[in-house]
Amino acid sequence: MASVAPEIDNTAEIPGRRAELITGGLGFTGVTDTVAAVWERPQPPRAWYIAFGISLTLLGILGAMILYLIVNGVGVWGLNNPTAWGFDITNFVFWVGIGHAGTLISAILFLFRQKWRTSINRFAEAMTIFAVMCAGLFPGIHVGRIWLAYWLAPLPNQMAMWPNFRSPLLWDVFAVGTYFMVSLLFWYVGMIPDLATFRDRATSRTKQIIYGLLALGWNGSSRHWHRFERAYLLLAALATPLVLSVHSVVSFDFAVSQLPGWHTTIFPPYFVAGAIFGGFAMVLTLAIPARELFGLKNIITLRHLENCCKIVLVTGLMVGYAYLMEFFMAWYSGSPYEGFIFRARAGGPYAWAYWTMILCNVGASQLFWFKRARTNVWLMLAVAMAVNVGMWFERFVIIVTSLSQDFLPSSWDFYRPTLVEILTLAGSFGLFFTLFLLFCRFLPMVAMAEVKTVLPQAALTAERHPHEHVPPTRAFDYNPDEHEPPAS
Amino acid sequence: MHRPTLDIDAEGRPLGTAATRLAGAATLLGLLAIGGSVTLGPQVGWSIFFRSYLLNYSYFVSLALGALFFVMLQHVVRAGWSVSVRRVAEMIAGTLPWLAVLFLPLLVPVLRRWSDVYPWTDPGTVQSDPRLAAKAAYLNVPFFVIRCAVYFAVWSWLALAGLRESLRQDDTGDVRHTQRAERRSAAGLVLFGLTVTFFAVDVLMSLHPHWYSTIWGVYFFSGSAVGFYALLIVLLVALRRAGRLTHAVSSEHFHDLGKFAFGFVVFWAYIAFSQYLLIWYANLPEETVWYRPRQGDRWWIGVSLLLLVGHFVVPLLALMSRYPKRRPHLLVVAAVWLLAMHWLDMYYIVKPRPWLEAGASAPLHATDALLLVGIGGLFVAAIVRRMARWSLLPRRDPRLVESLSYENV
Amino acid sequence: MDVAAHTGTVANPPRLAALLAEFASPGALVTAAEQVRDAGYTRWDTHTPFPVHGIDAAMDIRRTRLPWVVLIGGTLGCLAGLLMQWWMNAAGPEQFRWVPTFLQGYDFVISGKPTFSLPANIPVVFELTVLLAALAAVIGMLAMNNLPRHHDALFSVPRFRRVTTDRFFLRIDAHDPRFDTQRTAEFLSSLGAVAIERVETEEAPARWPRPLVVTLVVLAALALFPPLVVAKARLSKSPKPRIALIQDMDNQERYKAQQANTAFLDGRAMRVPPAGTIARGEWRDDAHYYRGQVAGDWALTFPPQIRVDRALLARGQERFGVYCAPCHGLGGAGDGLVHQRALQRDTPGWVQPTSLHDPLARGRPVGHLFNTITNGIRSMPPYGDQIPPADRWAIVAYVRALQLSQDARLEDVPPDRRAELR
Repeated sequence: MASVAPEIDNTAEIPGRRAELITGGLGFTGVTDTVAAVWERPQPPRAWYIAFGISLTLLGILGAMILYLIVNGVGVWGLNNPTAWGFDITNFVFWVGIGHAGTLISAILFLFRQKWRTSINRFAEAMTIFAVMCAGLFPGIHVGRIWLAYWLAPLPNQMAMWPNFRSPLLWDVFAVGTYFMVSLLFWYVGMIPDLATFRDRATSRTKQIIYGLLALGWNGSSRHWHRFERAYLLLAALATPLVLSVHSVVSFDFAVSQLPGWHTTIFPPYFVAGAIFGGFAMVLTLAIPARELFGLKNIITLRHLENCCKIVLVTGLMVGYAYLMEFFMAWYSGSPYEGFIFRARAGGPYAWAYWTMILCNVGASQLFWFKRARTNVWLMLAVAMAVNVGMWFERFVIIVTSLSQDFLPSSWDFYRPTLVEILTLAGSFGLFFTLFLLFCRFLPMVAMAEVKTVLPQAALTAERHPHEHVPPTRAFDYNPDEHEPPAS
Repeated sequence: MHRPTLDIDAEGRPLGTAATRLAGAATLLGLLAIGGSVTLGPQVGWSIFFRSYLLNYSYFVSLALGALFFVMLQHVVRAGWSVSVRRVAEMIAGTLPWLAVLFLPLLVPVLRRWSDVYPWTDPGTVQSDPRLAAKAAYLNVPFFVIRCAVYFAVWSWLALAGLRESLRQDDTGDVRHTQRAERRSAAGLVLFGLTVTFFAVDVLMSLHPHWYSTIWGVYFFSGSAVGFYALLIVLLVALRRAGRLTHAVSSEHFHDLGKFAFGFVVFWAYIAFSQYLLIWYANLPEETVWYRPRQGDRWWIGVSLLLLVGHFVVPLLALMSRYPKRRPHLLVVAAVWLLAMHWLDMYYIVKPRPWLEAGASAPLHATDALLLVGIGGLFVAAIVRRMARWSLLPRRDPRLVESLSYENV
Repeated sequence: MDVAAHTGTVANPPRLAALLAEFASPGALVTAAEQVRDAGYTRWDTHTPFPVHGIDAAMDIRRTRLPWVVLIGGTLGCLAGLLMQWWMNAAGPEQFRWVPTFLQGYDFVISGKPTFSLPANIPVVFELTVLLAALAAVIGMLAMNNLPRHHDALFSVPRFRRVTTDRFFLRIDAHDPRFDTQRTAEFLSSLGAVAIERVETEEAPARWPRPLVVTLVVLAALALFPPLVVAKARLSKSPKPRIALIQDMDNQERYKAQQANTAFLDGRAMRVPPAGTIARGEWRDDAHYYRGQVAGDWALTFPPQIRVDRALLARGQERFGVYCAPCHGLGGAGDGLVHQRALQRDTPGWVQPTSLHDPLARGRPVGHLFNTITNGIRSMPPYGDQIPPADRWAIVAYVRALQLSQDARLEDVPPDRRAELR
């Protein structure tokens, strides 16, 4: 049932006092009940069915378009010489970018000890997995002879033909593949305790068996938790450079070329910032309806949403900085080709895409300087959707303007997307949302075990030393191993 | 279990007159070293002298800018762990107004239009080179001077306003100081990003005015962050030797600072590698021209490899485990090493003179070392003088308690 | 405290495996754990819905060796990445002939970059490092925790179900040396537990359920099929073309060069260019230069574009040696190697190539000589497609020089060189 709780505003910040992250007075039991209720109720809310129906339809369209593509060839798309990449690679970079927010929340915010991440990290990681699946689809289907895609893998063959490891397109195979595997592992491993919760609360034998298998027999042993936490920390530490590297490798697809507008050294960090920007916008787009629909407003509170808005603002500024640097260096370099491409972006045949991008990316995100915008849930949703649109257009502008008007004017040609491409893009959203809605229905949407660790009841000292007025402090000595058990 | 209470005022008390004397000695040493290098000027050539000055100056200003970034960042993210180390960082950032003064000697080659320091300053070079003429609207002396004035004005304001706000809070304990600092830091970080980028472009990238790289600002910033964290670790260890901050700064703080140093080392390597890989891959002469003298002979190949191994591989392996990060006496060794590597990075950027001659010039001069001591002495003196006068802890910062009691993951 | 008993059948009487104490808050659990540790128990554990801060110290849990496992995994990944890329892109087959072809490396030269281009290889090395390290972390953690472990006597205790929600448990195993059913139960009660439970286990060891085993065996058998099919395909030869579901690259729907096409009157798919079509660069207006003709007659002089100098003669000599000498001989006497070979073989119907010193050949105008080279004469094939016009004129000039060399008079020798004649 949808939440009837009013919106509790916990965004006020009084320095010296950390605001409560979980509102509504929920304790361990309350948190578990609230999150498990999404799964335990016999029927999901009607809106879930409607959304699922729409996304399943879109998924069907995606399947049909891909089949049509395989049978008829890449000519059904609007690609030409020189614009050999269009919607296909735009969609790829768009979806991979969206996935990055999930890993940032899981891994990077974990390393920064940001407790508020616990409410959203589970479904953000799920978003990552599904986004990467959508992303991996596009390089797969754009190669022309899809049934030969296995040639990308280093498999022994009688011609002694191996992949060209110097190509960024092959680095992509390894980067996106590694990213998918590591995100999947991180997501699944983190879910084990919550799957155990589902197993223990299962009402039917079937559910007990399925979730029991998935939970791998987890029994909450502290000795297990010790290794679990260590593995989690190590995965977070590995996933952090991974997330930076993946979108950098994607940016290398463009930046290692010599094309004006593509070959610029700021691409790696710029793409990463842009990915996080778009990804957090998608997190907001998903979180805001989900918390309304599934009654999670006490767990995904306004404070969580406000923090996401701030990250959107910061990464939006980074993206704006990159635009400025590219533009400045295009002039500073004195290269007529670079200068031309930036003038073409702003005033040429794709100017409409360029200005949409600027307005949505740099323009819309600036609203988050204002507290009002950061605490109004529907305004947040509007800005987030605008950012998603803007980030799609950013990749479109980068790819298509530089390809369609490169060094030799006699080679120019313009790109017009076909209906098949547009429907494929729409269909990819179908794949994403179908998987996401299934996740909401059948898997623990919120990391219950992690949320419990940030509840005030989880702290030991309050009850262990009720008579002390001194706030929690460590013993004052230099021993660095004081809070560490002796190494084995 | 009885827990001793912490005497915050004793932990953070200023260093006093002994430090003032130390600052005086450092100032004297600095001035002597600068004077000594000036006397060498005619011998090595004034352009070499000013390039050595630029090298060492960029080094110290990058440390101060790293500190300014750190302070503003901690305010914006409402960090609790860093409060007990923030005052020292504020004092490092507070050297920026002095560094503005120390920038003035660099205007000599600019105003006198010496083409072997900044080629674009020389009208003859610009006239005969259409590529320089095309960017003369930006790379011209008056605009350069105005821009530098703006950079230092912005930085000095941010640093001093931050320090003053923090010091005032020592007396009043008013939370509004924290809130004001947060708002100022948010806008400050935007200004910081722009000014540091264009400073790096103007002062370092324009040494080779044909060359350009959009990631240059980020590259400079990443190096300065590494240098700052290393400097902070060294200063904190020194202060603890002097009996300050012995309990307020614990192995938890060092662990975090070590983590940040590790993280920024990896970040620096990522940025440096991105720049290198893209230029290597496309192999365009107008871009590779910057790297050629840096790989052109045995010396420079050695420097490049030393930078790769020493600035990345060694710190990566050394700081990966928590063992050294939690032990200040080990961490400080890594910090000193990183400070040296950051200087090597600045050397790598400033020293080669490809504009003039195809071959390499003499790779090292006495002025490089003398001016390191010279500018360094004045830099350290400026920090120590503040440490002598003001509290080393933000005594009544509302988040100080959190900083004293947190534990690492 | 009521100590409840569970499970067990008549045939396998239940055996006490452990005692379980339940607590309502993490603080209470940690205090209890400290006391259990201090009491000297060694085979015991706590169970919590989330990792409780401070429990590691309270239980003296040793720091895990997992980070070392991850480091090893990462190092292996790094080495694997470097080795793979070196082998596959930089190790030429010449040095490793003993490796079977399908495993051999091949050195790619791309964009003039070195075959082992370390900067370009770094991304893949990095990704593999992270991948293997992450796999090591997950598999290592699961293995060290002895997971998956689907059968545990603890799960038979109904109250234990709340361990993943909001309850905290402390378990002391029966085979701990200090364990005594009565005394340990009293000790646990004294710790402030909400409930004490008995955990019972059956004698028979846990077995995998039959349906699961059968499913796994069937799946394993089925999983063998694809690699076997691939292996068979790799190792066998077939006269049939390979299967291509989508034929459009193998059988492209287009007309090929010599095919018939009924759409055109002449029935050909290839179209002849319209009359008068001239390809670019093929405009041969200059008859003197391109055909050796002036006003319909053979040219008597070299065309104005050709400067007869030493360089031209040197070129002509070199070209003559390439194209003409095999038949006409280096001296132009018609005694080239082809002629000598023909004599050796007694080729029937062989006619000796013309000697260039023949009075007939000597009398030919240069234009005629040029035409002979271009179009051939009698049994000499045309060389016009092989030798560009400028080179043909150079050969003509050299032929003239050869002819002069065998037909010179004393007046032809410059006066200052006559002394060299003897």
